[in-house]
Amino acid sequence: MTVDTSTRAEAALLADALRQFEVERFYTKEAALLDAHDYEQWVQLFSDDTHYFMPIRRTRLRRELDKEFTQPGEMAYFDESKEFLLTRVAKITSGLAWAEDPPSRTRHIITNVRVVEDRGDELEVHSNFLLYRTRLKSEETTWIGSRRDLLRRTEGSFLIARRHILLEQTLLLSQNLSNFF
Amino acid sequence: MAIADQTLHELVSLERGEVDRSIYSDPDIYEQEMKEIFGRSWLFLCHETQIPKRGDFVEAPMGRDNVLVVRQRDGSIKALLNTCAHRGNAVCRADEGNAKNFMCTYHGWTYDIAGNLVGVPGQKELYHDELDMSAHGLRGVAQLDTYKGFVFATSDPSAPPLAEFLGRTGRAGLDMIACQGDMEVIPGVQKFVIPCNWKFAVDNLFDWYHPQITHLSAMSLDMFANQAMPESKRVDIDGVATQEGAQLRLPGGPAGGDNVDELVFVDIFGHALAGPTRDTYVGVTGSDSWRDSEQAREALGPVARRAAGHTNIFPTLWINPAGGQISLRVPRGPFETEIWWYSFVPREAPPEHRALVLAMANHVFGPAGLLEQEDGENWNQSTMTTTGLASRRIPHVLKMNLGRGKVVNDVDSMDPPYIECGINEHGQLWTYAAWAQWMSGCSWDELRERTIPPAVL
Ligand code: FES
Ligand SMILES: [Fe+2]
Repeated sequence: MTVDTSTRAEAALLADALRQFEVERFYTKEAALLDAHDYEQWVQLFSDDTHYFMPIRRTRLRRELDKEFTQPGEMAYFDESKEFLLTRVAKITSGLAWAEDPPSRTRHIITNVRVVEDRGDELEVHSNFLLYRTRLKSEETTWIGSRRDLLRRTEGSFLIARRHILLEQTLLLSQNLSNFF
Repeated sequence: MAIADQTLHELVSLERGEVDRSIYSDPDIYEQEMKEIFGRSWLFLCHETQIPKRGDFVEAPMGRDNVLVVRQRDGSIKALLNTCAHRGNAVCRADEGNAKNFMCTYHGWTYDIAGNLVGVPGQKELYHDELDMSAHGLRGVAQLDTYKGFVFATSDPSAPPLAEFLGRTGRAGLDMIACQGDMEVIPGVQKFVIPCNWKFAVDNLFDWYHPQITHLSAMSLDMFANQAMPESKRVDIDGVATQEGAQLRLPGGPAGGDNVDELVFVDIFGHALAGPTRDTYVGVTGSDSWRDSEQAREALGPVARRAAGHTNIFPTLWINPAGGQISLRVPRGPFETEIWWYSFVPREAPPEHRALVLAMANHVFGPAGLLEQEDGENWNQSTMTTTGLASRRIPHVLKMNLGRGKVVNDVDSMDPPYIECGINEHGQLWTYAAWAQWMSGCSWDELRERTIPPAVL
């Protein structure tokens, strides 16, 4: 009996670990594509019905914290369909986008990856990110925040079917957002 | 140290079309701007629809002061300095919200939404009821007024009434938003910070010469295809080549030659508009039928109804009618400017129209905007080169169409003083010329007199 229970617990843990590995491997690959400026490959990681959204955040009192972020249908920093993401990629790779020429040096650090819900074909995954950017001589930006992703299972990997990016800033402390999160 | 009148006129030359670079980085000049411009001018605070209910508030900047713009019990609006009458702590730390009171978190002095001091811990035991509470409320701004839902305030009790300050150009600019329907602000003001002098951010809003190069990558996208110029009308770009020597293909941008497709307004107090006419530019949402409405005919003259360009209400409020957006440039120091974007939509807009407005508002301007991504670095570099000992001796050049701009100024018309021409630098140069007058600290009457445009610019 006890042996049986502990075996089952072990099997569940192992399944968890495998799933965690799959998700983290996916994010590591994604980050590598972004940092290598391989945006054409990167955008293929998104499903055709994806929603890539970075709301505006406002400093509000604790009792009004439910109104801290804008919602879809309101103003945002990013509010992208797959088509808009492809448009952004076309722009950045045109050789004419001066905000990224010379290109920013970026490093994406993805941590605290947590599968919060597993519906079999789709996973709700939360993660933290640190995006570090330097440009030209001394421009330096650090963006830290969390991502709330919907990952859809597809042949041995995932497609990002939704990404909400919550930045730990209200007033954006950078002169633009010419990079991806 | 105040910059003398004489010097100011050497810094900006309307005749030569030149501006001295020191105005962008000299700390004394910045101090004087805070006093003479931001300390006197009417400044935009918010739109009424941002604070619909009693107790709704937003915080807004006025120079280095911060004010709380609060909807009152009777539906009126008050702007209160966000500083406690006791020892100065900010009485509210949220960007926006709804409040019944403002309680200072230092010692607990409590103000009602009208700014009256209604509670003082220890008023009886410690102050022996000798503190005159009526004398220690939150201080209000000197004057507050609205124009078609746009809320403005000034710190100068002697400033002329808002409508008079706005003049024909300022009123036309605001009407170009107000006439698009029963307009409301879409929740969410985009705010970001560019390490540049605020005047570059203002100068640029009149600049229809830069999109074809600065925004070349965006203009090349299908999304902006409706803004491409027919080949026959494009400006000559001979000699414009990249570092590898590649000739650029310019899909968008201004018409060249004798194509008179631009309208410029130059007006009192430095208000101005510049940009294409509605025949050459409708913006990315593709419709400007509101310009033919009854409401627009009543509010705007025939020339203003043709003007699709950008207005600046001096000093820092940019109005972009094609996108239904306005943008505030907030100076935070000679080398730092915050950009605040407000987007409007008609309350009665059907869902598809609302979605289109939103998509454009989120994709054209703002920090991730397909256009505006490229602007910041230009302004940043332009600001920083004004600090070089040798670099700063080179005057800025604003000579496009100089001496050729005939100003039509019919004082009986509701249309502002205007110039018809091709791409030009009149709007920017007029702003700098008015800037020098503001900086001189002259009286409001003198300022109005000195900012009536001449017959030719
Ligand atoms: S500073 Fe506000 S109560 Fe003392
Ligand atoms: Fe621009």
